[in-house]
Amino acid sequence: MSDEKTIVCRCEEISFQTISDTVREYSCSSREVKLRTRAGMGYCGGRTCRHMIDTIVAGINQEPIADEIQLSYRPPARPLTFGVLGGMQHDNESR
Amino acid sequence: MTMRVVNHPVLGKLPEQNRITIRFNGQPYEAYEGDTIASALMAQGVKTLRKHEMSGEGRGIYCNIGHCFECRVQVGDRKVVRACLTPVSEGIEIHSLTAFVKGGQTK
Repeated sequence: MSDEKTIVCRCEEISFQTISDTVREYSCSSREVKLRTRAGMGYCGGRTCRHMIDTIVAGINQEPIADEIQLSYRPPARPLTFGVLGGMQHDNESR
Repeated sequence: MTMRVVNHPVLGKLPEQNRITIRFNGQPYEAYEGDTIASALMAQGVKTLRKHEMSGEGRGIYCNIGHCFECRVQVGDRKVVRACLTPVSEGIEIHSLTAFVKGGQTK
């Protein structure tokens, strides 16, 4: 993780540099760095980088990761088509 | 030339499976029945399943267990599925999701 160009959030291509600069400049929480840089807002719903963002923020702000959930889980838990929302019966992905 | 492991030191020789033809972005590829889209294409050396919507970087499988959605591809004319979970079937039409070019047209 030392290399500044390392990508932390794959879906939005946010690098370690961008996140740590943002945290240092605004001394912000995970949620704020997510709002400022979109890290954690990607298609995967933060599954890949949620913990990394918390760790980076905790490291820079020198405080332990808080117990309650920093980056809340947003619906939909997994992407679905408007057809399914409208009650259509798609055959499921893996038959 | 296939990337498929046909002779595994532990599992031994790959049993003969019936082959089917799948199409990815208009190109025909050979696959075994029971492959997932991701493994069938990777066996044929195709690793780029999608282009990143903003930067256009090539993207392929990452978690390969249906967790990260990096491998999303379009099957048929409307359905978008995870390539690492979806089994192939004979003559399946697969298209990669194209990157959006500023100004809204897809590449």
